[in-house]
Amino acid sequence: MAEQQIDQFTRRLDGKVRRAVRENSAAGTAKRAEILAADYGDPTPLRRLAGEIRQHAIENLDVHLAKAEDSLKRNGAEVHYAVTAGDACRVVSDILSRAGARKVVKSKSMVTEEIELNGHLEAEGIESVETDLGEYIVQIDGDHPSHIVKPIIHKSREDIARSFEREGLGDYDDDPETITRRARAWLRRKYFEADAAITGANFVTADSGRLVLVTNEGNSRFCLAATRLHIALVGIEKVVSGDADLAVLLNLLARSATGQQLTVYTEFIQGPAGSGRPSGPRETHVVFVDNRRTEVLASDCREILRCIRCGACLNVCPVYRQATGHAYRGVYPGPVGAVLTPLLAGKDFPAFADLPKASSLCGACNEVCPVDIPIPDLLLRLRNRAHAERLPSPGSPPMGPFAAMASRPWLWRMALRSGRVMDVGPVQKIPVPWMRAWLNTRTLPEWRGGKFRAWMRDRRKGGDET
Amino acid sequence: MSVPSQRPAGRKVLFMATCLCDAFFDNAARAAVEVLEHAGCEVIFPEDQTCCGQPAFNSGNWPACRKVMRHAAEVFNGDLPVVTPSGSCAAMLFHGAGIAFEGEPDREVIGQLAGRAWELADFLVNGLGVPSWPGRFPARVAFHQACHTRGTASGPAALRLLGMVEGVEVTPFGEGDQCCGFGGTFSVGFPHVSTSMGQLKLDHVRKATPDFLVSGDMSCLLHLGGLAGKEPGGAVPTLHLAEVLQKALRDDG
Amino acid sequence: MKDAREQIFASIREALQTLPERKPHPGPPSGAADPRWLAEETDAAALFLKRAAAAGTKVFTDAEACADWLRGLSARVVLLAENVTELTVDALSFAEVVSVFDRNDPDRIDASVTRAAAAIAETGTVVLTDETTPDRLAALAPWTHVVVVRRGEIHRSVADALAALPDDPNVIWVTGPSKTADVEGILIQGVHGPGEQAVLLI
Repeated sequence: MAEQQIDQFTRRLDGKVRRAVRENSAAGTAKRAEILAADYGDPTPLRRLAGEIRQHAIENLDVHLAKAEDSLKRNGAEVHYAVTAGDACRVVSDILSRAGARKVVKSKSMVTEEIELNGHLEAEGIESVETDLGEYIVQIDGDHPSHIVKPIIHKSREDIARSFEREGLGDYDDDPETITRRARAWLRRKYFEADAAITGANFVTADSGRLVLVTNEGNSRFCLAATRLHIALVGIEKVVSGDADLAVLLNLLARSATGQQLTVYTEFIQGPAGSGRPSGPRETHVVFVDNRRTEVLASDCREILRCIRCGACLNVCPVYRQATGHAYRGVYPGPVGAVLTPLLAGKDFPAFADLPKASSLCGACNEVCPVDIPIPDLLLRLRNRAHAERLPSPGSPPMGPFAAMASRPWLWRMALRSGRVMDVGPVQKIPVPWMRAWLNTRTLPEWRGGKFRAWMRDRRKGGDET
Repeated sequence: MSVPSQRPAGRKVLFMATCLCDAFFDNAARAAVEVLEHAGCEVIFPEDQTCCGQPAFNSGNWPACRKVMRHAAEVFNGDLPVVTPSGSCAAMLFHGAGIAFEGEPDREVIGQLAGRAWELADFLVNGLGVPSWPGRFPARVAFHQACHTRGTASGPAALRLLGMVEGVEVTPFGEGDQCCGFGGTFSVGFPHVSTSMGQLKLDHVRKATPDFLVSGDMSCLLHLGGLAGKEPGGAVPTLHLAEVLQKALRDDG
Repeated sequence: MKDAREQIFASIREALQTLPERKPHPGPPSGAADPRWLAEETDAAALFLKRAAAAGTKVFTDAEACADWLRGLSARVVLLAENVTELTVDALSFAEVVSVFDRNDPDRIDASVTRAAAAIAETGTVVLTDETTPDRLAALAPWTHVVVVRRGEIHRSVADALAALPDDPNVIWVTGPSKTADVEGILIQGVHGPGEQAVLLI
């Protein structure tokens, strides 16, 4: 029987990894809830406000993006545009080659994961080093991040210690403190050797032309302190109207992502550092990347563009907690990924049309979302799209016959009565795949089709008599 | 989740039994009827009712969903409140319908039904304003809130009703706000994930050692009860919220 | 062929054309983003110290105590920024005091003392700018960083601080020491930036 890929992945997953991810995610959910309750009581009105701010931004993207471009240029930054992932990579390598840059340090950025920038730069002979601790470990392992804010949530300290030993960062030592110190020393060399820094941006303000970058480790700050050339890759949807919007968004982002009031380092970048400054970039390039965001904007799932990449929906999702990030086969795991990955896949939508089905539609993702994205509704819309495109759905019962029955009362009543064969027949042998899938781990209660109806009829008769 | 702000709440109601109660859980449906009648309602059961359309909606087959919902709109036409002992069926009517009928010519017709839909506990507490419940049911219960009532008034309403029944002790359990793993066709499309989710829920529930696992949705109980039936840990007795209220009434004589 | 910019704007406009109307901006948040306890806090300096300490920052209101702390950490080489007057070379006599960060020997300096442009009481944050911290590395690379804040420079809330964001190529809000929880969710301080972050409020 054909199995859904996510279910298959989950079945084969190492129990230790599953447990680690589940516990870490549950802890993240609890921390988020605790700080929001302490600071806002019920955070829902604030989440709704943030959702409106972001929805306004994306529904007026033409205006705000043009304004952001003007403001950034006024501040001394150079602005570029890239339609596709490939275009974005080429824009970056052109800037680097004009500057003669051969070594790059990178701060964590989801859009650079999306366009596979590191692979592109490597092919061009440019060394590109991830500086976020988790992303660095992902890079040396040739792995992929499995969580938006906790890229190595699937790795143990033993895994990391072995990787560090292999890469020559010291003898095997799995003490997290030692691991961190070794990365500090090693990456510090990389910062000072680098010719350029590549970052993403969490937000871009249209009115003031600021790139906003948040980190806890301080790696993006180090990138922008040690190098003289800064390239920021920014998804076009990251634009917000102004600085004032950030009060709501920053307060919710840190609390939702890591349970902090604010991230340790919140950086506002207008452009290159003044010429007399001893540190800071002399050039700032902002590359606005589409990579099918405009297709998402044109779709009935445009609300997903509100996303501020906090990872709260992953942490709370019961499916993510069982399946873990790599099950989602994309840069964005969990509920947000189940929406975004198929949308960003373009003509490859069919290859990812199973992701929106990997949800019990429990709605916990929407409940924790700092920008109130109706994720379950979007998952449903994508399921409808998959159906409209006649894509197969392994394991699901066909709904056409069901609807035919459920719109004909006489047929429905007949089915209710005939269902009783299940109580006498050998149900385990029923050759219907979805029935087998149910019965493998679950029993069915006794069939009592029509009993309630009969009771209602009897009462009515009884009622008539009295 | 969009819940209509103005819904009719008179004491003459149309009862939507749900397909699960129609097929398996007649006890829960009977209990719901008796509970509504105790609250002073005249309960009308339109015989031609079938399903709310949710299975087709959730599996992405919206043409099939609309077919079923159009039938439901016909069966439940009029202006009486439609009450159902299931949060997810109620949510299908007042939230899902609006999505499934986006851009459809008869969206208004379906919207008219959506604007009268109530989940049972929500209707009793917030529609009728039931202040107290007679009788007694001495039991420790673990209450599982169905996910489709997340963020609606149904969860708090159910807890209020349980709190009204003398003898009922509601015991909390771990990760109470997590899903049971049913999710309709999800449970058969993703059996491994679904089963793991359900087992986690059962572990938490068993640790709280309740006499009954109670929910306002038979779908969650179908799943959890079905899982427990196959597990070495053994069966966990389940009751619909309406059955708890019904048992209290019976004790009252 | 259209250039990338034109192509993207054309796609955006086309996508937005289908909307019956565009969502208006909800208006300024006017306090919505403030934590509910903020209104009761009347002393911005006291709140700043409390929140900074909660974020893992060492707080001092006395220059001598701060110097003693640095001595206690056995800071042998201390960078003292030129615009800092609250701590002096004399007060740091236990250490070699320098004024320039040498990127060829980034780990030579044990501690640095620099000036903040402002602070935020709500979050215990210090605000650094290129104007007040011309060498970004000086405030970042050493294991210990002390930042000097003056009482009059404290904003009450994040919203207030945003309304008063300086016109500077680079403004950074620092809330506690550099940290990570990437390895098994265990909190470790001092990943790339300071492992010890301190403020001296004058």
